[in-house]
Order: sequence, then structure tokens, then C-alpha cells
Amino acid sequence: MTVAAAVHRWLDSDLVYDFRRSPVAIVALLVTIILVATAIGANFVAPYNVMDPASANVIDARLPPGATGMGGEVYLLGTDPQGRDMLSAVIFGLRTSLYVGGMSVVIAAAVGVILGLVAGYLGGWFDALIMRIADIQLSFPAILVALLVDGISRTVMNRAAHDSLATTVLILAIAASFWVQYARSVRSLVLVERDKDYVAAAKIIGIRPLAIIWQHIRPNVLGPVLVIAAINLALAILTEATLSFLGVGVPPTTPSLGSLVRIGNEFLFSGDWWISVIPAVVLVLLSLAVNLLGDWLRDALNPRLSG
Amino acid sequence: MGSFVLQRIFQTALVVLAAALVSFAMFRYVGDPVNNMVGQAATLAQREEMRRALGLDDPVAFQFLHFLRDALTGDLGVSYRFGVPVSRLILERLPATFELSLCAMLIATALGIPLGVWTALHRRSATSHLLMILSLVGVALPTFLVGIVLILIFSVWLGWLPSFGRGATVAFGGWTTGLLTLSGLKALILPSLTLGLFQMTLILRLVRAEMLEVLRTDYIKFARARGLTDWAVNYRHALKNTLVPVITIIGLQFGNIFAFSIIVETVFQWPGLGLLVIQSIQFADVPLLAAYLVMIAIAFAVLNLAVDLLYAAIDPRIRTGMLSARARA
Repeated sequence: MTVAAAVHRWLDSDLVYDFRRSPVAIVALLVTIILVATAIGANFVAPYNVMDPASANVIDARLPPGATGMGGEVYLLGTDPQGRDMLSAVIFGLRTSLYVGGMSVVIAAAVGVILGLVAGYLGGWFDALIMRIADIQLSFPAILVALLVDGISRTVMNRAAHDSLATTVLILAIAASFWVQYARSVRSLVLVERDKDYVAAAKIIGIRPLAIIWQHIRPNVLGPVLVIAAINLALAILTEATLSFLGVGVPPTTPSLGSLVRIGNEFLFSGDWWISVIPAVVLVLLSLAVNLLGDWLRDALNPRLSG
Repeated sequence: MGSFVLQRIFQTALVVLAAALVSFAMFRYVGDPVNNMVGQAATLAQREEMRRALGLDDPVAFQFLHFLRDALTGDLGVSYRFGVPVSRLILERLPATFELSLCAMLIATALGIPLGVWTALHRRSATSHLLMILSLVGVALPTFLVGIVLILIFSVWLGWLPSFGRGATVAFGGWTTGLLTLSGLKALILPSLTLGLFQMTLILRLVRAEMLEVLRTDYIKFARARGLTDWAVNYRHALKNTLVPVITIIGLQFGNIFAFSIIVETVFQWPGLGLLVIQSIQFADVPLLAAYLVMIAIAFAVLNLAVDLLYAAIDPRIRTGMLSARARA
């Protein structure tokens, strides 16, 4: 099949048809694309490089949106308490939030899918063990699991180590709180696939179990994983923002949407609303867009669930 | 029944033991316990003495048993940050968290159930649509932002309500309450609203869905055919049957309320357990964190065990088949 034919077939699919008839999904996708593109191109889009400490100018601290700095700089969205340009800080913060959220979803999905595949196919004690752990973890709220994993890891490491590893620890903590959903749904799908004829045929011609799991069963169980990942992405971004807001997320020097709101929160009473409100608005916009996109994807891929 | 109960109790004990093991490992291996307790000028001999007195020379399994024994008798160590026993700190902070959680749950139930019933009965009205859209926004809006927005409106702009602390409290023995003073009640409004909002949207959606389901059943149609008034059909027949699953979910939501109270307490500087935990993470206060971990494991394990056993008592299918109670909830 040529590339053109493939594109044509894709444009003709039910998914695209459904998408074109859903204004909510179109707007949500547009917003998501704009935000993601801005985050990826942060170095080129942002007026100032916030990651460079020299860009902070304490004389220009806490200027309202649209103000002009001492050196004639224009701050479209004002400045924060350290004199950093808010617009640039929010763009770099968006990048951090998307990176942490995205990475944790990828890791959670990878771990969950692998454990679910193996547990479902092998059964026996391994299956029992994994599912028991999953049951137990499900009885705790995800945000509490992320908070405790993150908090305990920070305490265990010494201060110097945890400042450089804080972001990695945060990603792993959020991933640890989400893997269960993937493992459970993949396992239940594998239990159905396992007894189908194509698996029996693969066994008969002597394909090794690992190859059967990976090359034959995995492609058939990945659809729902995509949906869970889309819905989880919004949750992961909110979890990152919450932990960073609480002061136990990204290191203090790294801007993220949550840590920016945290900084602004201290100046709420002096009337400097823009320091916390602007990152908050971006956060809500991002989480709402990703959430709606995930909901649409779930309904479009699984007509039984809609309505 | 017997084997189901035994299995669940065994699982609960395992969770608590695992939490205790992590907590013990933190105590034992994060930093040097002796260094944390003796002064700078202590000699090597004194350190050895201390080490023996603390039982740090014993085999590790032995030490773990000691740790469990101490924990069971309420001796959870001394906080690095405050220098007072952890158990006392936790007991001091518990009433504030308890009051906040209870008020939040009351708000969520008192608003969520009537609004859910209303949106189910007036499905096509504009207000219902608006409520459903608002509840969707409630899901996308993180708890800490709800708190900040409420502070911005009611404390900064309008100046009606305090934005932090618990106000004046009255003490009864070891229990402090803010419910009896005006400043205490005023301080409670914003935090409990923030904490209750998300739970409210959840209850609203659940009640609405259950109610719509029940309204479709034959006995409701039959009740209407018998000529009963709308009021009798909607409230005496439909609502009653709606509430059974709703009450169970509300019970399970208490765990969530407890988790989210950590966030709300930080936003409003509410002097409860959650704020204590966040600060102990920032200050690396190992004994406090370790004690909290064990405590929360016990609290959640017992809560879930209670809900599961209650289900098993109500629904015979769970006892006989190996149907998971959670799958039905």
C-alpha cells in the first residue's frame, strides 16, 4: 500500500469521521496541539530564557502584566517575585509539566502492560501475586500513593542527591500510582485472547511463550491501553501540579505550572494575582483539553460506553 | 463466609505488616539513629553505649520485633523537628483533620444528593445541563486551585472569611474543637467547601445515574399506573432504592477525603495531620513520616475491610462465589 493510500484510508476511518463531527474534540485537540507545540519550542517561543538565572532581574520583580522593565524590556504577562518574565516562566513551566506527566504515563503504561501480559498469560502464582498487589494498591487513592512514594524517597535520599533527582523521583512516584489500571485491564483482555484459536495455532507450531505474548497477543490488547493513557495524562499532569504546589514535587529552581502557582500563592494578599492566576489558567486549560480528548477517544473507540 | 472473612483479614494484616516494614527500614537506615540523638561532643564509648541501649546491636529481625512492640504500645519515636513524641503530635493534630473531613463530607452529601435527584428528574432543563457541565469542570479543576480561587474571592476581594488557620478552639480533655466559636466556624467554611466540592460532583453524578436507572424499572412504571402522585413515586419509591449503592460509595469516599485533606490543609494552613505530613516531608522528619505511614495503612486497611465485610453480609453472592467485593462497588 502506498503512503497516499494509507493516508486516504486513515481519513476514511470511523475514528476520523467521528472526530470531524465532534466540535468539542476538535477544539480540545487544537488547544492541546497549541500547548504542546509551545512547550516543545519553549526555547524559541519564550521571550526570555527562564532556565538561565541571569534572565531574572530583581529590580523588575512583581510587575503587573504589560509593564516595562528598568532596562526597557516589555513583560506581556508581568513578572514573578524574582523578576522573571511570567510569559516565559509559564511556557517553560508548561514544558516541565508536560514532560513529567507524559513520562510518568509512558512508564506506568509500559510497566502495567508488561505485568498484565505476563500475569494474564502465565496465570498461577505470578498472576495471583500481581493482582493481589494491584487490589491492595487500588484501595489507596492514587494521589496519596504518589505523595507517599515521592515523600519517602526524598527523605531516604540526602538533600544534595534529591535536588538533582527530584524530577526523576516525581515521575517514578506518579507512574507508581497509575500502573495498576493498565495491568488489570490488559490482564483481563489477555484472559480472553489466550483461549482463541490463533494462540493455540501459534503454540502448536512451537512459538515460544514470550514471542506469543509479545508478537501475537500484545497487538490485540493495546486499544484500551491508549484510552487509559489519554485519560491518565490529564490526571498525571494534575498530580504533578498538586505535588509541586505542595512543595514536594519538582526542585524549587525548576518552573512547573504547580510550582509557579505555589510561588504566586504567597503574594495573593498583596494583590499580585497574576503570578498565581496565569499558570493556574494554563493548567486548567491543559487538563480540560486533555480530559475532553481522552473522553472522546474512549467513546469513539468503544461505542458501548457512550450515552 | 468463614474463608472469605479469614482471607480478607489475612490480607489486611499483610498490608499493615508491609507498611510497618518500610517504616522500620526508614527508621533504621535513614541517617544514623545514634547521631540523631547524641550531641556533637559524645565520645566513641558513649556512642557504643547508646547503640547498645537502643538495641542497634541486635539482629535485624529482633529489632523489627522490638519496633512492632513499641509501635503497638503507642511508642512511635520522637520527632526530629519538634523534639516531642510522635504519638502526641499526631493526637494533637487529629481533631482538626477529623472536623474538616466530617464537614466536607456533610456538605458533599447534603448538596450532592438533592442536586443529583433534581438533575435526574429534570433531565432536559437548562439548569441540569449547566450543573452537569459545572461538575465536569469540577473534575478538571485540581483541589488546590479551587482553594486558591475561593481565597481570592472570599478573603482577598470580599474580605468575608479568613484564609488560613482554624480560628479560636475550645478544648475538651485531649480534644480541641472549632465548632463552638464564631471564628472557628468562619475558618471552617472555605476549607470544608474546597474539600467537599469534588466529592459533591461525584455524588451528584452517581445519584443522577442511579436515579435514571431506577426510574426506568417496571415497578416505577407500575406505581405510576396505579395513580400514585409524582411525589410518592419519585421520593418514596425511586429515591429509596437509589440510596443503597450511594451510601456505600460515600463510605468508601472517606478514604479519598482523608487523602485530599493533605492538599486542602496546605492551602489553608489548617493545623491538621495533612499539614504536619507535608512539613515532615520537607524537613525530612523520619520518625513522623514513618508513624504516619503505618497509621494510614491501618486506617485504610480497616476501612476497606469493614466495607468488604459489610458487603459480604448484605450480598450472599460474594460469600459463595469468589466475586470481588470491590468489583461490585
